[in-house]
Amino acid sequence: MTNTQVSAVRPRAASAPGTVAERPSARERGTRLLAALFLAPTVVGIVVFTVVPIIGSVVLSLFHWNVIDSPGFAGTANYREVFTDSTVLVSFRNTLVFMVFAVAAQLLIALALALTLNGRMPTWLRSVFRSAFFFPLVLSAASISVVMKYLFNQDFGVINWLIGWFGIAPVPWLTSEHGALATVIIVYVWQQFGFSFLLFVGGLNNIPKEIHEAAALDGATGLRKHLSITLPLLSPTLLVASVVGIINALQVFEQPYVLTDGGPGDSTRTVVMVIYERAFEQLRFGEASAVGVLLFVLIMAVTAVQFRLSRRFVHYQ
Amino acid sequence: MTDSHLSRRALLRYGSYGAGAAALAGTAASWDRLTGNDIPGRNDGSLVVATLGSAFSPDGIRALVEGFRKLHPDIRVRINAVQAVDWSDFFAKILTQIAAGTAPDLVYVATEGVQLFARHLGVPLDRWAKRDAAELKEYFADVHPSLVESMMYEGSLYQLPIEFNAADMYLNTQVLKRAGADFPAADWTRDDFTALLRRMKKAGDSHFTPYFWTNRLWGGVVPWLFANGTNLLAESKAPGGAWLWDSFYPAAQRQGRGGGFRWTTPQATADRVAEAYDYLASLIQEDLCTRPEGGNGQNLIGVFSTGRVGVTPAGGFWAGGLHLAGLRDDGFDVQYFPRWRTRRHQFGAAGYALLRTSKKQDAAWEFIKYSARRDTLTRLFTTNQTTPARRSMLTGARYQETGPAHWRVFYDTLDTFPDTGPIPAPPQVAEVTQVLLKHTGTALASPRSVGPALRRMQGDLEKAMERDV
Repeated sequence: MTNTQVSAVRPRAASAPGTVAERPSARERGTRLLAALFLAPTVVGIVVFTVVPIIGSVVLSLFHWNVIDSPGFAGTANYREVFTDSTVLVSFRNTLVFMVFAVAAQLLIALALALTLNGRMPTWLRSVFRSAFFFPLVLSAASISVVMKYLFNQDFGVINWLIGWFGIAPVPWLTSEHGALATVIIVYVWQQFGFSFLLFVGGLNNIPKEIHEAAALDGATGLRKHLSITLPLLSPTLLVASVVGIINALQVFEQPYVLTDGGPGDSTRTVVMVIYERAFEQLRFGEASAVGVLLFVLIMAVTAVQFRLSRRFVHYQ
Repeated sequence: MTDSHLSRRALLRYGSYGAGAAALAGTAASWDRLTGNDIPGRNDGSLVVATLGSAFSPDGIRALVEGFRKLHPDIRVRINAVQAVDWSDFFAKILTQIAAGTAPDLVYVATEGVQLFARHLGVPLDRWAKRDAAELKEYFADVHPSLVESMMYEGSLYQLPIEFNAADMYLNTQVLKRAGADFPAADWTRDDFTALLRRMKKAGDSHFTPYFWTNRLWGGVVPWLFANGTNLLAESKAPGGAWLWDSFYPAAQRQGRGGGFRWTTPQATADRVAEAYDYLASLIQEDLCTRPEGGNGQNLIGVFSTGRVGVTPAGGFWAGGLHLAGLRDDGFDVQYFPRWRTRRHQFGAAGYALLRTSKKQDAAWEFIKYSARRDTLTRLFTTNQTTPARRSMLTGARYQETGPAHWRVFYDTLDTFPDTGPIPAPPQVAEVTQVLLKHTGTALASPRSVGPALRRMQGDLEKAMERDV
């Protein structure tokens, strides 16, 4: 639909108290119908592939089901089970710790690199860096994790071999509790920061140069300029990057699954790993669904808090 | 107020929208499109056989299908090679197929899943085995009874074993030479083993690790538990099975046999279990062995073949693997697992399980019999990627090109040590394995971690075994 057509639609008059609301015109109804037609494939896709599975998962969480036998109604037993299961509770703790560190690192690195690339630099070099930073994102997380597992191997990995040149003893990257979680975060951030980086590059390009020039005239330079001008104006982008980053981090699976299989102990077991293990390895689909529902609620809650806070911290031009 | 009547132009426009939408819907509905039913073999009456993708080569699968077709031209067969990283992943995918209503007729199942499938999905093969006893006599005479017993559940036979792998000890001969050590004797002990590792370490550089092992059910801590005369779960035999032993095995070999293994009470806090963990922890402390790393040992062939590892537990499957990795036939050799309190070894076996949902059970039985024939296995196992369950197939000629020199160890692990048994794999195997791997990682983090970790393992195993899967 063109702008001309949109402007040609007669605006509805505001209905005054006591008056009958005006019926939409034929053209307006046509526009709405067309909009509905365009939206239909997406809406159908969301309903079939997102809404129905969510409802199905909630229903399944109320049953005991092992795929082989018929499901049996369990009421809230699955929820009681997961709330008292130390592995599930640890997985939630791990996932939250992972989310805090991974998203913070991802945003900081992406922002720092975007600001650096936004400075004076030949265009071709900027293109090279942009591609290089974004490239890991298009690779398969499982493939990357397999390679990283080799690199971070304590006894035979290249990384310990390299740091050994400087007299540093082999680091238990994947075989100690804290080391393993840190390594999973490193691998995840390395692969994921490209997305936030690209958002920040776009956001920085949208900040009018005049504002920076005016700030420079007022004496704002360096860090002060970034804190007072760049960051506030970039805050909508920052909100998007953090929302997407947090939602993705709360669903992390491939990296810990391939790198450590959740170990040592449960130190890198995440919520989605628990869902997978319960459902497809232990055939406890009801419990897996209960954990899935709890994760869904957690993501909803965290996202709602983010949007609530955004009213205070996000500045729209 | 707007005009509630449609103009002629609007009417024409909506009419054309409607006609367009109807035409699109009609075209889409009548389109000759591909569906799941168009996958070759699906719903065409074929006997569907699901195998672990990496278990057989494409040539092997072709030979399997063509050979069966020649023998049974009336039975169409389709091999569904399911790609998976390990048995647990494979079973998960098979169960997903079953849940989706596309269950295969036969599934290639290893020890890890024998009891899970037998309990919930499998059909006992007893009636067919009794009916075709004359035909099967030659097969059972060629297969060790321990392998057969590992495929029984509560008195019934669920699979005919066609391959197995016992955990023996592979040694890199170049590393041995560098350390000035002789190839260990067949009756070597745990202390001999430790002394050899120390000697290897002394002769190697800082990047050399004498003993490598992978934290998994097969070949991880369990062989040490067996060698120390214990197990993760209390082991016993189910009653029954006499129909099979009396029909196919001489009196000497049926001694002590039953209706399959039972793994019940967890015993992670038993002294001998703790002793095995303490031993591995001490090797780690001395830098004689790797820390328990999860996974399937995918990086092991590289580090072993390049001499960065001296010793590792593996089965007959490694002879082919090392050969493919470029190691000469004299570059490695194999010996029994070292003796501790006992000489008991562990093994895992595999064969075809017939699913209850199959509507072609007689045809499936014909395939099971065919797959266990000597000529079939010879065509299937050409690269020493496993140990054939038939004793007669292990010959000098088979191992001439790949090695190892002591290839007899593979089958003698069963013949010489008749108490050698399968890895503990009750129907709750998935959870048991996860608990084992998880707490093994924690237990071996430091020598003081062993006790607390084993107590937690015991608690988790008790919970897992109480659960009815």
